[in-house]
Amino acid sequence: MSALLSVENLSVSYRIPGGRLRALRDVTLSVRRGEVLGIVGESGCGKSTLAAAMIGLLPQGATVEGGAIRLEGEDMRHLSPDRQRGIRGRSVAMVFQDPMTAFNPVLTIGRQVADFTGAHGQRLPQAEIAAMLERVGIPDPARCLGRYPHELSGGMRQRVAIAAALLMRPDVLIADEPTTALDVTMEAQIIHLLRALRADFDGAIVIVTHHLGVIAELCDRVAVMYAGEVVEEAAVDDLFHDPRHPYSRALLACDPAVVIPGTGHLPTIGGRVPDLSVLPAGCAFAARCPLADALCRTSPPRVAGQGRSVLCHRAATQVAP
Amino acid sequence: MTAVLDLRALSVDLPLGGFLTRARLPILCDVSLSVGRGESVALVGESGSGKTTLARAVMGLTPISGGSVFFEGQRVDGDLARLRRNAAMMFQDATASLSPRLTVGYLVTEPFRIHGLPLPDPAATARDLLARVGLPPAIARRYPHELSGGQARRVGVARALALDPRLVVADEPTAGLDVSVQAEVLNLMHDLRAGMGLAYLVITHNLALVRHVADRVVVLYLGRVVEEGPTARIFAAPAHPYTASLIAAEPKPDPRRRRADLAIRGEVPSVLRRPAGCEFHTRCPLVRDLCRSTPPDLVPVGDGRQARCHFADQRQDKQGERHAVDHR
Ligand SMILES: Nc1ncnc2c1ncn2[C@@H]1O[C@H](COP(=O)(O)OP(=O)(O)O)[C@@H](O)[C@H]1O
Ligand SMILES: Nc1ncnc2c1ncn2[C@@H]1O[C@H](COP(=O)(O)OP(=O)(O)O)[C@@H](O)[C@H]1O
Ligand code: SF4
Ligand code: SF4
Ligand SMILES: [Mg+2]
Ligand SMILES: [Mg+2]
Repeated sequence: MSALLSVENLSVSYRIPGGRLRALRDVTLSVRRGEVLGIVGESGCGKSTLAAAMIGLLPQGATVEGGAIRLEGEDMRHLSPDRQRGIRGRSVAMVFQDPMTAFNPVLTIGRQVADFTGAHGQRLPQAEIAAMLERVGIPDPARCLGRYPHELSGGMRQRVAIAAALLMRPDVLIADEPTTALDVTMEAQIIHLLRALRADFDGAIVIVTHHLGVIAELCDRVAVMYAGEVVEEAAVDDLFHDPRHPYSRALLACDPAVVIPGTGHLPTIGGRVPDLSVLPAGCAFAARCPLADALCRTSPPRVAGQGRSVLCHRAATQVAP
Repeated sequence: MTAVLDLRALSVDLPLGGFLTRARLPILCDVSLSVGRGESVALVGESGSGKTTLARAVMGLTPISGGSVFFEGQRVDGDLARLRRNAAMMFQDATASLSPRLTVGYLVTEPFRIHGLPLPDPAATARDLLARVGLPPAIARRYPHELSGGQARRVGVARALALDPRLVVADEPTAGLDVSVQAEVLNLMHDLRAGMGLAYLVITHNLALVRHVADRVVVLYLGRVVEEGPTARIFAAPAHPYTASLIAAEPKPDPRRRRADLAIRGEVPSVLRRPAGCEFHTRCPLVRDLCRSTPPDLVPVGDGRQARCHFADQRQDKQGERHAVDHR
């Protein structure tokens, strides 16, 4: 099936004092109808920048240096600002980590969701909004409409945000760290909700997270990001059971949820994500990679692999551990 | 051997607020727990279960309304100096808990100043403390906003260690950190414990963290202990349905082990509307009629464990069938 939303060779940088920070470099990625795509990596690797680019909401100071973002094949950057605004929210909707920051504290939930739907098309009646709140598992939706954001728990606010996004009947729902601010039980409930939605929502879902458990529970396909690049793209089972990129392996290995308890010390990756304003000459992961050699330090790797893509000089020659 | 920390039937009430009422709201009810020398105890439960309130009460930051706190065998009674000198708190939001205008070097040695203790060579002390948490000396000249999340967390630990405490109370020590940094913080906690005989009271809802650092687990629900016991036993066979639900809710980092159903629905009820009978009955998958009317007590269920559930015994018996037969 063809891609619903795709980015092709996308590069984005931020202007910073004294230079530019290359937040995305040559990123190619697509999501198909009915699919849940996960984007994972340590913080600072460009996940949120990619999510924002996908919905055409890059912050001030960000420049698209090249590449395309296509919605059903059409390059979004060549659309009029009006059409772009129409797409935002209606074709592609977004849910953020802490919905509190997205809400106005002095307006009721019902008023805000209605305003939101109004801004993106037609103002929906409260009954329709209440029905959607019920759909996302809010008990007593009528009462919820009259409440203020601070009166709801983090989990309930996240449900309202998801409901507001879904009311736009988007083709693509992008959720940036939707469970990061929640505790395990709420996280499990939101994962469950997103799974249930996917069954009767024929669009695509993109989940951005640094939590591997969320990826494993929810996604079909995963892109692993490191220092602004997609370093591995694979079906979820392949990534967890046969990771090919040294960074993917390291990330999976140090997750305290994976490591068998009682081992005392956990593996670590050592070092950290390089400064994206002064990137190294070769592979961006070389300083932390156990397999790095002279070639890695001088020349950047290119995407390799059949059926899945791995950005590593050694991708073809490596034997699984 | 006397415990480092011993809470006996600790209760905390908070004022309900409003002008006309003096009513107080029970937040923690009758919590007893102890942390032995060099032991690591985890306090778990969803948000709103009273974990932070307990940490604050232990450190004397929130007044207690019943029961008592013993530190190394002596009752802490208004006199907080000894406790605060020997127990340190590691805060959840490391960056926000560090004053932004002070350098790291000043911040890690601040506990000496707060307690009026001699500090002949602040620079050397700062260097030593930073080295203990694996930070280079140059960090001493930086300000908190110039640190990464992992570095800020380490500075928080260095500061907590300044006065050679015997107990560290850590509130969500890995929240918001990448897995790679989480692993580093856990390793650091492990080393400090091995090297200095530190005891920990770790407050968290992250069960992976619990499995790695805790010898024992105390599970709180609505401010009450619902299960308590050795970590390995609790994870192998939780006695309380709430503990079982928490463990089951944890996302599995393996797509082949996805769980199809939902382990636990709804949220912790408000402390304003505590359910009658067993307070967990509104969410319990195993609820029966008795649960709606009669509150269960915290009772021993074998293996050095306690649980607050009318039917915990029966479940334990089923889980350890052979065991039960042998003993009857
Ligand atoms: N508005 C901004 N101005 C300058 N730099 C930014 C801005 N937003 C993000 N960055 C930088 O871009 C890089 C990628 O950030 P982000 O996309 O937020 O990553 P992630 O979501 O993976 O943590 C980081 O180095 C971050 O500091
Ligand atoms: N200062 C306060 N005034 C009134 N209620 C409070 C106050 N602090 C906490 N609470 C209530 O006490 C309960 C326990 O809170 P807390 O100790 O923060 O739990 P946890 O750390 O487990 O999330 C919650 O219901 C919370 O709303
Ligand atoms: S290209 Fe070299 S340094 Fe980069 S990930 Fe592969 S082996 Fe490691
Ligand atoms: S007493 Fe009843 S409601 Fe409470 S935990 Fe046990 S089975 Fe569940
Ligand atoms: Mg982000
Ligand atoms: Mg708390």
